[in-house]
Amino acid sequence: MSVTLVPKRVSRRKSAQEGGSFLAALPWVGPALLLILAIVVFPAGYMIYNSTRKISQVGTDLKGVGFDNFAKVFSDPNLPRILLNTVVWVVVVVTVTVVLSLVLAQFLNKPFPGRTLVRMAVIVPWAASVVMTTTVFYYAAEPNYGILNKFLTDVGVLDEGFGFTKNAVPAMSMAIVIAIFVSIPFTTYTILAGLQAIPNETLEAAKMDGANRWGTYFLVILPQLRGSLAVAVLINIINVFNNLPILKIITGSIPGYSADTLMTYIFKVLQFDRRLDISSALSVVNFAIVLVIVAIYVKTVKPMKEV
Amino acid sequence: MKKLNLRGVAVAGVAAAALLLTSCGFGGASSTSSSEPGASGTVTTLTMLAPTYSDGTKALWTKVIKDFEAANPDVKVNLETQSWENVEGVLKTKIQGNKAPDIYNGGAFAEFAAEGLLAPTSDVASEATIADFQESFAENEKVDGTQYGLPLIASARALFYNKSLMEEAGVASVPTTWDELYSAAKAVSEKTKADGYGMPLGNEEAQGESLIWFAGNGGNFGDGSNIAVDTPANVEAAEFMKKMIDDGVTQKDAGATQRTPMLNTFIQGKLGFAYALPQTVGQIKKENPKLKYGIAPVPTKTGTPATLGVADRLMSFKNDGSKTAAVKKFMDYFFSADVYTNWVSTEGFLPTTKSGSEKLASDETLKPFLDMLPNAVFYPTTNAAWNATDGAFKSLMGQIATGKSAADVLKEIQAKADAAK
Repeated sequence: MSVTLVPKRVSRRKSAQEGGSFLAALPWVGPALLLILAIVVFPAGYMIYNSTRKISQVGTDLKGVGFDNFAKVFSDPNLPRILLNTVVWVVVVVTVTVVLSLVLAQFLNKPFPGRTLVRMAVIVPWAASVVMTTTVFYYAAEPNYGILNKFLTDVGVLDEGFGFTKNAVPAMSMAIVIAIFVSIPFTTYTILAGLQAIPNETLEAAKMDGANRWGTYFLVILPQLRGSLAVAVLINIINVFNNLPILKIITGSIPGYSADTLMTYIFKVLQFDRRLDISSALSVVNFAIVLVIVAIYVKTVKPMKEV
Repeated sequence: MKKLNLRGVAVAGVAAAALLLTSCGFGGASSTSSSEPGASGTVTTLTMLAPTYSDGTKALWTKVIKDFEAANPDVKVNLETQSWENVEGVLKTKIQGNKAPDIYNGGAFAEFAAEGLLAPTSDVASEATIADFQESFAENEKVDGTQYGLPLIASARALFYNKSLMEEAGVASVPTTWDELYSAAKAVSEKTKADGYGMPLGNEEAQGESLIWFAGNGGNFGDGSNIAVDTPANVEAAEFMKKMIDDGVTQKDAGATQRTPMLNTFIQGKLGFAYALPQTVGQIKKENPKLKYGIAPVPTKTGTPATLGVADRLMSFKNDGSKTAAVKKFMDYFFSADVYTNWVSTEGFLPTTKSGSEKLASDETLKPFLDMLPNAVFYPTTNAAWNATDGAFKSLMGQIATGKSAADVLKEIQAKADAAK
């Protein structure tokens, strides 16, 4: 039996090496490939296609216009302010989120009574719907009956309710606070997982060598967190960059474009100007920016490099 | 080996996430299934898309459809209702997916007509039904001489004033001109705890509030062939609006205020003056019947009467043209005097048909508004650039409250309208 089996196996492997491997693998990866094609590649391709068309306001495709839509996008006088807003929005939210999460994860890594409860409580903003969380904040900041305004007037900080969500700078700040609030759980848990993977020996070695607490943290723990930090930062950048619900609810009623990021601007172009073609072009720009950020990040931080 | 796997997974995951998240603006075709006409039996299924005017709209339509189906067993109507905010977006998705509704209730229609998507009224309603519409409204439904819309409702704005607050502030007479409104609103905001005048320039209704003021100075948004927002009369009106806001005689953050919450503060008795609709009367009756208020014509610059009139319409998308006979049955049924007046008066609107006006002429709630209709200025809904103009008002007009000059804002809106040609 075994004598006959061995040569058969060899020949099979040979044919696999000669190019049959793809066909053999197809039934296994096919469904996943199909899914990726249908929900990732096709919409992205369609978006890029739309960005080169002229589409009427009611949605009929009129003709191809090449890169005209992009020319319009880049000559848009609102664009610099919107890009600036986007940069501020992403940088502030991601930086503050990561710093706070590092602290929080360190805290949650220490054993203390009720730790499980606290750990679960941290998940709540993540588990709740973002739209709901944001709407709660939005109503709290309502100038006439919001609880935040009521509190501030009652304790005497304000004379009367202030429209936190009605003016560009306060509304943007508020959106940033909410974005940090909902980003912390994921970031904290990613870092916490990283912390728990740090071998105890390295910490003991640091102690033996007489490193102080800060030294241990910055020279021993932080370098070993590189992997999880990289994932946390990258996912957060993409997520925050493309965030619509928080900004749409908090800054949506502000007239003009002074509180818009690229994402909300795309939405406004679609909803109010009804320009499917221009908003597609903007989406392509958005997509390109994200890709560039990710590429730069991967290149410079080398998150996959071994420590 | 483990590390390698992890790397692959992470890279793939990031790429997929980037693609997914950046392409989430993509709205696929809706999954509404439409049954094949004449496949088996002779039941024709019509799709209908309607916005909700009030909480009761859906029930009202459902009842109309039920009675209609009982009388016409060969036609079925599938109703879909959407909020006003969403209805046009939903419609656009349906058109893109070749699933345009057979019956659509909406505002703007000229661009659909211009692209040949709509069925002419003569195809989808009998002559008797078409002849019953009041001429002024029917005229508003025509593009290049062909009527495409069946005017469904009419509405006009009037000044609602809070009597108690006026008394408290020592304002003796109801304002009829801008200057009188200014000083009355000023007195109310200074001498009472309430705000003087409610100006909703947020993206719900900025175009409505603007046109009321523009009309008060003899202005409008242009006509069927030409959008004219940036005109001297309009700029003057917008400057007066800005003056009201800057001098603090309106509520705060006028540029970000939506109409519905603003009217709620009026109903609660915390606002001196506001422009409101026939339905507001019913709302006050229901929610704060003790409110002492009155209804008066809109104050204008010189006192000559003018107001904003709104007419919405039913229209029919052609699709493959196989369902026009069924649509005709529905329209003729709906616009028959009894069905129609019941619908219009339940929603609190003004009728657009001759038979309907006769039936409702004695209604006291509607009377002040019916009287104002002859002086109403309408949106240029027959202009193909109107949708873009409307959107530009919604997203940009509020800027007069956040520091931009009135002339600059109107220039910006005009530019958006011109770009949509």
